[in-house]
Amino acid sequence: MFALAGMNGLVIGAIYALAALGVSLVVGIMNVINFAHGELYILAGYFSYLFANAFGMNFALAMTLAVALVFLFGLLIEYTLIRPTYGNDMYSLILTFILSIVLQNAYLLIFGPYPNKPPNWVGGSTLILGSFYYGNQRLAALIAGSAVITLVFLVIKKTWFGRIIRATSQDREMAELNGVNTKRLNMLSFGLGCALAAAAGVILAPIFPVTPTAGVPVALTAFVVVVLGGMGSLWGCVIGGLIIGLVENFGAAYISTAYKQVFSFIILILVLLSRPSGLFGRREA
Amino acid sequence: MTDRRFFVILFVAVGLLSLLPLGLGVYHLHVMIVSLFYVMMASSWNLLAGYTGQVSFAHAAFAGIGAYTSGILAAKFGLNPWIGVFIGTILAALIGLGMGILCLRMGGIYLSLTTLGFSEILRIVITNEYEITRGTMGLQVPGLVADYSKPAYFYIMLGGAMLTLIVLYKLIYSDIGLNFRAVQNDERAAASLGVDVVRMRVLAFTVSSALAGMAGGLYGHYLLLITPEIPSLDQQFLVLSMTVIGGMGSFLGPIIGAISLEIFSEYIRAYGEYHVLVFGLVALVVARFAPNGLMGLAEHRLRGRRKASRTVSAAAG
Repeated sequence: MFALAGMNGLVIGAIYALAALGVSLVVGIMNVINFAHGELYILAGYFSYLFANAFGMNFALAMTLAVALVFLFGLLIEYTLIRPTYGNDMYSLILTFILSIVLQNAYLLIFGPYPNKPPNWVGGSTLILGSFYYGNQRLAALIAGSAVITLVFLVIKKTWFGRIIRATSQDREMAELNGVNTKRLNMLSFGLGCALAAAAGVILAPIFPVTPTAGVPVALTAFVVVVLGGMGSLWGCVIGGLIIGLVENFGAAYISTAYKQVFSFIILILVLLSRPSGLFGRREA
Repeated sequence: MTDRRFFVILFVAVGLLSLLPLGLGVYHLHVMIVSLFYVMMASSWNLLAGYTGQVSFAHAAFAGIGAYTSGILAAKFGLNPWIGVFIGTILAALIGLGMGILCLRMGGIYLSLTTLGFSEILRIVITNEYEITRGTMGLQVPGLVADYSKPAYFYIMLGGAMLTLIVLYKLIYSDIGLNFRAVQNDERAAASLGVDVVRMRVLAFTVSSALAGMAGGLYGHYLLLITPEIPSLDQQFLVLSMTVIGGMGSFLGPIIGAISLEIFSEYIRAYGEYHVLVFGLVALVVARFAPNGLMGLAEHRLRGRRKASRTVSAAAG
């Protein structure tokens, strides 16, 4: 029981971290929270389901295509909805919230209220530590999640593009003075944030089938992770994601399954009370 | 607007509205009652979003707290519903106060995230605590009046809306309201002139939560069946859209938005499932292209015409 809950916590935690990275990237650069993050996560799940089941594509191809499409959709959202609201954070909150409800209802019309599930990548299960069998699909999700997180870290810490991102999130005006086209960077980073949500979506969809409103709890948890880790901190997302994933699963295993969402909310309140800037957050001036 | 003018307009409007039960049938009266509920909700949400710049996603949740508190007290303990509504209002105010103190030090985004989380948690608790709340089946509650009649409820809701608007008006057009707008326009400048920014925000949040609690309590006893639909995010979305479409930050905007959109949504209900989607798309377009809503558009046109006439008269002179 203990090891199983721990293992589940790791898998979910990695996915939470991935979803939170997308939120954190956008917050760090644009100071915008995308409330439709969960709906984009679900959109990628639907795309991969559609491509793999209806068009009979290979699952890897379907996933890549799904993430790419959501990336493009993210660019479109930034261009049409977010760009006109620069400097007014409140309006972007309102617009993305309306967008999330619109998307939920559109999914409901198109796909119906029933859960849809893309095919598993692998079958069978593996004996872990000689104590319990664990589904290979979940293990694959853990590996894929960790791989994407590593990729994000490499891009941000090691490449020229990553340097631009870090510079802009540290001091926007200074970056502009040094010739960074922050408008284009905003668009690109918003798209990337959506693509990270999409990556989380395609990885998790075979385990937790997608429904029109299944994105809400994932997005909420991603937000909690971002606050817990500290707004704009990448390591905060990873550590925070793992903490929330583990707490939820141990809580579900030992206290109550129905209330597993509530545990992360309690953590959020404790963080806000004791250390509002989060575990790794910069102290706001 | 001067105090006198406000009260004259309010009483004339209420007087005219109170003639409605003479002419309207049961169905239309029902639409008006629901509209008045949304007038209360949208106006009090506007105090937050429009006047102090805080986007709360828990307004429907506070209505739910009011409705369930009063409903549970009446259904399980046989308490008089009026006292229940009062207690529900107080409880919503207290929870609003706690939440305000918790996250308003941190600024806008934290409040939005926490309120969104809070409303989702409340939904989970209500759905799971089946024995107390009857979950998604809904809780049957007694009515506010002994003999159920639509006109009676119409007058009750009209009274509630009037009370809400008076409280909001008194607050917004007082020194405190001036502070609210100062905080929204420029937080640092306001703070430097001695405005206690956090205190202003907490005050606005508490008052607005209490008003939502009262609206929810009254509405619950009108419906006679309280379901998790009242504190849902869909409901929050309706309140938000009404305010945005009517015009955030204007006193009249949410009132016009609430009444016109409730009537509009009754018309498009015939198209079934599409109605939330249509509603959302309209709200999205208005929020994007006319951020000050219908009131903003009206003001723009009015100002444009005035300017035009001034140029004409200047040219003539």
